[in-house]
Amino acid sequence: MAKGPSIKTIREPAQDIRVFREADVVVVGGGPGGHAAAVAAARNGAKTILVERYGCLGGMATGGVVTIIPNLTGRDGVQEIAGQTQEWIDRMDKREATAYAPRELWGSTDKALVKEWFDRSFFNVRLDRVVYSALFDAEILKCALNDMVEEAGVKTLLHSWGTKAIVDGNEVQGIIFESKSGRQAILAKIIIDGTGDGDLLPSAGATFDTDIDPTIRIANLSLCYWIGGVDLKKALEFRGTNPQKFGEIMRNLMQKGGHPMYMRSCLKNQESVVWIHPRYVVTSQIDVEELTRVEFEGRKKMLLTHDYFKKNLPGFEKSFIALSSPQLGTRSSRRVHSDYRLTEADATADRVFKDTIAIFPDVDRGEESMKHPSLHVPYRCLIPRGVENMLVACRAFGSDQVIQNFFNLIPHCIAFGEAAGTAAALCVKEGKKVRDVNMDALHDKLAKAGVPLPKLSKVKAGV
Amino acid sequence: MPRKSSVRTVTEPARKIKVWREADVVVVGGGPGGIGSAIAAARSGAKTVLIERYGHLGGMATGGLVNIIPNLSDISGKQYIYGLTMELLNRLDARGGTSYTKKKDRGTTDRKAVDYYLDAGLGWFYVRQDHNIGKQRVIYSAVVDPEILKDELNDMVLEAGADLLLHSWGTQVIMENITVKGVFFESKSGRQAVLGKVIIDATGDGDMFVAAGAEFDNELDNKRRTAWLALVWWMTNVNIRKFDEFKASQPEKYQELMQELAKLGGYPHFFKSVLKNQHNTIWYHCMQAQAERTDAMDAEQLTAIDVKARKRALITYDFMKKHVPGFERCFIMLTAPQLGTQGGRRIIGEYTVTEKDLETDEIFEDTIAVLANNDYHEISAKHPTLCIPYRCLVPKRVDGLLVAGRAFSSADTINESFNIIPHCIAYGQAAGTAAAIAVKEGIQPRKVDYKALRANLVKQGVNLPEITKSKAAVPLKTPRRTKTDYYQKYG
Repeated sequence: MAKGPSIKTIREPAQDIRVFREADVVVVGGGPGGHAAAVAAARNGAKTILVERYGCLGGMATGGVVTIIPNLTGRDGVQEIAGQTQEWIDRMDKREATAYAPRELWGSTDKALVKEWFDRSFFNVRLDRVVYSALFDAEILKCALNDMVEEAGVKTLLHSWGTKAIVDGNEVQGIIFESKSGRQAILAKIIIDGTGDGDLLPSAGATFDTDIDPTIRIANLSLCYWIGGVDLKKALEFRGTNPQKFGEIMRNLMQKGGHPMYMRSCLKNQESVVWIHPRYVVTSQIDVEELTRVEFEGRKKMLLTHDYFKKNLPGFEKSFIALSSPQLGTRSSRRVHSDYRLTEADATADRVFKDTIAIFPDVDRGEESMKHPSLHVPYRCLIPRGVENMLVACRAFGSDQVIQNFFNLIPHCIAFGEAAGTAAALCVKEGKKVRDVNMDALHDKLAKAGVPLPKLSKVKAGV
Repeated sequence: MPRKSSVRTVTEPARKIKVWREADVVVVGGGPGGIGSAIAAARSGAKTVLIERYGHLGGMATGGLVNIIPNLSDISGKQYIYGLTMELLNRLDARGGTSYTKKKDRGTTDRKAVDYYLDAGLGWFYVRQDHNIGKQRVIYSAVVDPEILKDELNDMVLEAGADLLLHSWGTQVIMENITVKGVFFESKSGRQAVLGKVIIDATGDGDMFVAAGAEFDNELDNKRRTAWLALVWWMTNVNIRKFDEFKASQPEKYQELMQELAKLGGYPHFFKSVLKNQHNTIWYHCMQAQAERTDAMDAEQLTAIDVKARKRALITYDFMKKHVPGFERCFIMLTAPQLGTQGGRRIIGEYTVTEKDLETDEIFEDTIAVLANNDYHEISAKHPTLCIPYRCLVPKRVDGLLVAGRAFSSADTINESFNIIPHCIAYGQAAGTAAAIAVKEGIQPRKVDYKALRANLVKQGVNLPEITKSKAAVPLKTPRRTKTDYYQKYG
């Protein structure tokens, strides 16, 4: 596709936009962060509206088919992420729609157990121990997420794309969204950006970083897909008895540009399904030409891989492509300049904040993770610097590339959302600005919602 | 819940919008109509841009999981639709991505053959009642694999030389008096504009009509299919053989169960997948016939229906798993990424196709498609085809705009039967070709010479009738400039 750098502009005249609703809190984006924010805000008494671009909630977890909630325990096997993340898993558990290592195994170093759980899924083992990571069913989750917003009393608009903040000076006052009903506005006391990409930041007047080292995970887009009709027993047997032949086949495939890795679905009744999560390096995940390019490349390589599997890999003879993800697997783009920027140095210093709103197990950084078992996240990294009435509840939180690379996954975003939504509701109730939130009350509410927080007596650093 | 305030507005100030491209032809929407338009326009030499809201092309055929291309022949088995639809099916066939009624079976009344196609549960698509002889007959219909189709459509658009943006939602036209000059679209790159000499609205819903000031019909008749939405979902890991045995040996028990499921709010009808290697997969085209749906464009109603449809899917899944032999180990493989919309705005065009045209067998001088008429019962028996004139793609009061897709100018009765995938591809192919001609000649789409358009379409393999009647369509006049509030001047 040709690149067409254009500096030409056209003037769009002023227009009157219909105000669809006025609310206390409006959340743009129904992914893990936005969904959690909306649910938390509504549960804490705020009149809340959630605006989602697609027809389902869950973002990457559903539409992106990134059906993994990893790293809920640290190496020691103690669960550090709970709250709404645990609620997701509990709700899916009731329908046998999730798979994870049982509690008694978390932290286990037993070699046989570690191997067994690693063989099931790469996500079950970190730093040579069994960890708590949940695989889940995207379709069941979509329904569970609808239930959660309905029960909490969130007014939800699907098929509605929030694209712009309405501002007066440095005060954000609402958002503009597109839908089949035309361009409309929602006014609110507090606006939460749960778009993942921080789509509201430019129009809100917030500043941000977009630099990403092309060699790290978050520089990659994904177009996940599932292959069904696989005779997995046959496939695993072949892999086990002919490891060299298997390796050769996969190397050949890689040379052709295909995807030489598949994961087993460990979900109930899905023994015939495997998941493929490819990676495509992009220069920017908010450049629509890049997004288009990857959709094309992704589909080409998906079919190439499947054709090759079908022909060469025992067990795949009668397989078919069950689905490709309706949403591109975006990993990172804008990172807001926030009141506090969380950096690698904070991890290294084991910094604990007075406004810690989440603790994340640190298990993906090898040697560093051995030394620093968890990361504390301060509330301030959700507040755009110099902007009023706005919070960020998604991977666009204020962070450097290292923190972003390891701590922007689904459970992390849920935690940001839960904190942002709760804080927003508290501020609305008390008539406070988001940066003046009553921190004791926020901690109290989060703790009551089941969010593990540090004992404040241990806290050294001040706000 | 917050209260609706319908009167309040906020003023969005004027601003500069980046122009992403300037093209000859801009197609908004990459469903069947948009695909037809973009490929035809680009192949005809126009510099063409296609913008699509989702991450894939194909619209309902892929994202909606409505992967069925029916009515390619009439009841006797005579094929009418060729052109791009056929090209697409041939390409899919080469990759094992389609399944269709065998050539030798088309038109047959042979019970064995008819039953074979009915068994798949795809009866409505494969078999039609012939009222002349009082028997069921097999017609030419095809089923396609949506994942292979997505890739094939990508290839076809690129090979044709069109420039494409996915994840880009065209939402508003740019007007100069009564002429459409371009489109604003939203994407992750922010609001941008694309300018063109002819804009083709292939959004399905006629999303460009409002800002263009085009007249349209937006009536919903809840008795009609076009007023309903469908959330299609696929279930797999079904032991079909076991299910068939159960159904055959205990038909009453099966009926009883399905009635119970319907009472619970579930959906008792499904099709068996006839695609390769999908013998354990079934499709639910769960129609949401809603009396409460009053406006096809209301995002709140779309949301409510989407949420309700998912609940119905789960009720159905739970019930089937628990009670129906063969379903013990099934799971929901996927729900359609796009809600299955079946009707929306319909343009008031230079000609509106009505039921009268069915009965007069009118062959228009500007006929751009001949469609098999299989769904009008007794009328179908007497009038096996319907001709579609180019004029029903041309809006009455607006220049620079063509319509490709189900929003063509038609009575709601006609729209219900002639707005499906192969029809939309045909409208698109005609609109794209006409747009390219208009650009080349430097004229408005309504001034395109019918003869040249038809000759061009025939060259592309479109099946058109000989114009034998001397009755020529009256040449179209340029609409007068009006001063309605719609026509905001941009510049």
